[in-house]
Amino acid sequence: MSDRPATATGPGRVLIAVYAIFALSATARAGVQIATRFDEAPVPYLLSAVAGVVYILATIGLAGRGPGARRLAWGAVGFELFGVLVVGTLSVFDAAATGIDMGPEDTVWSAFGRGYGFIPLVLPLVGLWWLRRTRPR
Amino acid sequence: MAVGRVVPVIAALVWVVVVAAGALAVFGLVTTALNRVPGRAMRLAVGGVVALLAVQAAVAAVLALTGPGVPELSTFLIYLVVSVCVLPIGWQFATAEPSRWSGAVIAAAAIGTAVAVVRLQGLWTAGV
Repeated sequence: MSDRPATATGPGRVLIAVYAIFALSATARAGVQIATRFDEAPVPYLLSAVAGVVYILATIGLAGRGPGARRLAWGAVGFELFGVLVVGTLSVFDAAATGIDMGPEDTVWSAFGRGYGFIPLVLPLVGLWWLRRTRPR
Repeated sequence: MAVGRVVPVIAALVWVVVVAAGALAVFGLVTTALNRVPGRAMRLAVGGVVALLAVQAAVAAVLALTGPGVPELSTFLIYLVVSVCVLPIGWQFATAEPSRWSGAVIAAAAIGTAVAVVRLQGLWTAGV
């Protein structure tokens, strides 16, 4: 039926599961980093927190139903792609050039997600493709 | 010191858990590839891996609380609890709408759990 949450059916449920795992791990990681050693590297740790929130919003958007959830998913997944490209690019340049020291393990998005098997780079592409494929006609 | 004994115990348990979770992930992916809906065998497999995770978490928690200090003990304990909870939640989500993709959902949860356990062990060995 047309009121089915199209993004949350079939293979979409695998996508949501992966998003949920990233939401959990990125948020937990950022929480620990901020709680225990925020002063060491505030910018990467805040970026970790932003990434965690974006993954949570994407999970909610993809799992929810209706046009509002779909808009949320588009926004979150789109921002996620933007984030991984910007943070990834900044992090591979010399820290001296950018003035921001971001080690490969410091955020989910550093070095295009190298610390996470590049899944953070692939995930938003799959997400956008899935949102496009399931869009209402 | 107990350090020399503790690490091999944990290392062996981590190995068992990671291999079991990996096998579960393969099982899930094969189920999806064969276009099947997860059944009783999958439920038993998930239950088995969760039981192993629970044993691992219990042993690690006891050793962490009684043995030489683990850095960020509370974080460590929270992660242990989460490592046990991910698969049951994944199972619920996978079977709420049974389809060929349910197996892949379980595989994702299993892989996530395995990675978390390996990371946890890294946290542990960094402390001793």
